[in-house]
Amino acid sequence: MCSYIILEKRQVMKMLRFEIKKVFCTFKNKMAVVLLLVILVAVSMLTMNRVEYTDSEGNHISGMLGARSLRAEKKKWKGEITEDVLEAVVRENEAINNSPEALSDDIAEQDKAYAKKQGISGIAELINNAYSEWRDYNYFAIDNVSAKEAKRVYERRVSNLKTYLESGEETFTDSEKNYLIRQYEDLHTPFYYDYTDGWSALLQNISTFILVLALIIGFLVSGIFSSEFQTKADAIFFSAKLGRSRAVLSKMGAGFLITTVFYIIFMLLYTLVVLAALGTDGANCPIQMDMWRSVYNITFLQAYLLIVAGGYVGTLFAATLSMLASAMTRSTATAIIVPFIVLCAFPFLSRVITLPGICSFFPDQLLEIYITLKDFVLVELGGKVVNVIAVIIPIYALACLLLEPILYRVYKKAQVS
Amino acid sequence: MELKFEDLTKKFAGFTAVDHINLVMTNGVYGLLGVNGAGKTTLMRMLCTLLEPSSGTITYNGNNIFKMDSEYRKRLGYLPQEFGFYPEFTVKDYLLYIAAIKGIRSTVARKRVRELIAKVGLSKAADRKMKKLSGGMKRRAGVAQAMLNNPEILVLDEPTAGLDPNERIRFRNLISELSEERLVLLSTHIVSDIEYIANEIWLMKDGTIMHKGTADEIINSMPENVWQCFVEKGMVSEYMKRYKISNMKAEPQGVELRIISLEKPSEDARRIEASLEDVFLYYFGEKAGDEDAAV
Repeated sequence: MCSYIILEKRQVMKMLRFEIKKVFCTFKNKMAVVLLLVILVAVSMLTMNRVEYTDSEGNHISGMLGARSLRAEKKKWKGEITEDVLEAVVRENEAINNSPEALSDDIAEQDKAYAKKQGISGIAELINNAYSEWRDYNYFAIDNVSAKEAKRVYERRVSNLKTYLESGEETFTDSEKNYLIRQYEDLHTPFYYDYTDGWSALLQNISTFILVLALIIGFLVSGIFSSEFQTKADAIFFSAKLGRSRAVLSKMGAGFLITTVFYIIFMLLYTLVVLAALGTDGANCPIQMDMWRSVYNITFLQAYLLIVAGGYVGTLFAATLSMLASAMTRSTATAIIVPFIVLCAFPFLSRVITLPGICSFFPDQLLEIYITLKDFVLVELGGKVVNVIAVIIPIYALACLLLEPILYRVYKKAQVS
Repeated sequence: MELKFEDLTKKFAGFTAVDHINLVMTNGVYGLLGVNGAGKTTLMRMLCTLLEPSSGTITYNGNNIFKMDSEYRKRLGYLPQEFGFYPEFTVKDYLLYIAAIKGIRSTVARKRVRELIAKVGLSKAADRKMKKLSGGMKRRAGVAQAMLNNPEILVLDEPTAGLDPNERIRFRNLISELSEERLVLLSTHIVSDIEYIANEIWLMKDGTIMHKGTADEIINSMPENVWQCFVEKGMVSEYMKRYKISNMKAEPQGVELRIISLEKPSEDARRIEASLEDVFLYYFGEKAGDEDAAV
């Protein structure tokens, strides 16, 4: 019995290997992989250049070198952002503002003054956020905040929300309002301050990279089912003993494996390249350091994992739909278009048609979790308010699961005339 | 072993490709002869479970082949008319893949692939990509894939189409060699492909089997005679209008015609023995003039 199972397993693995070989032996798919590598390099470079540093002479440095210096500056202030620290930052800011460099009319001198603020920039941003209007970020708010007022930063975060919710500018229900306030109040304070610019840069470009990755993966898997018809190999395939059973499963397995392995490999490469260059520090700092109003009480690392998970489900959904179209229409061209429609046309639709409730559930949202983390997109399910991310990831994961038997059945029942 | 078509019909939008066919097959070579569009491929595709019949059944030893599913397909080898393959695969990889989807264990598959590659004369091309093979070599690879599972039922749809005369003869011999102890259904519109190797020939036209039997029985079924005569070149078109001409040969003294007719077409005409090609022309008319048919 055991040896039978091993032999069966080997048989399936063999079919799977051939299916994967079929995908990667075509010129167009080889080119797609090369293109993906080129895009990986380009996006990584762009991401690395997001981190900028100004040295004591006022010179701007970006990328890995800039990140190293900025990291050193921020590390000087590493630790919990207590009331004392907030007070100290306001004083430090005031001192720098009153320095001859800051008061100079010469831009180069002003840059030198700015260089001194880089270590406290993350904390200064919190103060700016706390003392800015809800929809109008004031870059210089800290300049008008006293040391005593600075201590109220965390309190201001909650009170600003309450003021906004009471303003009548929004359309939240009472349950949603209560949820938002509760989430704000539940956020652990004081924040821990560290250099988080590596994570911050990584997350800012990640959605674009996931979109490209999803489209290219969709392209790679689009021919798995239709190629049998297009190469006219369908007659032999379906007349073979396992042609309407395990051979179909091996195709589905190949699609799933290509999607999963490619997604993991390229996400890992992107993450490793960016974090190796910009630093992994600050993984456990709250994302509110970067997204002040976020209702998600999570760290940078958790936000990254959430974005990656959402991206994976979105990619898998688009790839599965592409394979289904490939099996149903027997056309690779049609199957290639499907991920574009799912991931690119839906965002366009949401701009043209005003359907705020429905748009939040479009599959493209799975690739836009970075944006969603910043927004208040809530759903009320059975009287319980939850964040939209907590709903769309399981919904589309379930949709992928439900599509699999449909895909199997469609292909298994194919008629070859 | 017995394969049985009972009232088998396949209708597509607007026309009936296979029309109420009733046949029984046991071991041996069956030649399915008919012009393009006669319904041969549709019939074979139903036999290979690629198309479900609109009505009627195909049974293998009394069991419906569509219900038997993989139990039936494991006994089947099929070479379709349009032999599709994976162009980037080598011959060896292609055959190993087909062996895998035929459910043949790896160790057995490797041995079987090696044997069949040698048998069809592709040993030197085993590591060559399928897209780099000549037409004849591709067909041989096609036969090899059909034989991988040592099938009880071998279905070959127009296996010699597009091959040069030498390849065609080699191919015919190969099929003859492979046909021992199995059921082979060979479809073609080229008479010479089956004339010598088929135990039973079926003439198919407009979705129905109009005649079946051995080559001699089919020949004897023709109600007209075959004549040979010489005519002047200028008279050929006149004869073509009046009679079915199964062959023409230009000679210095005129044109030698092979005519199918109940009556003697000319004074000097002499009656000769009919061949299967003559019968084909008689039943299928002008379409029998396909250039391949001369070989």
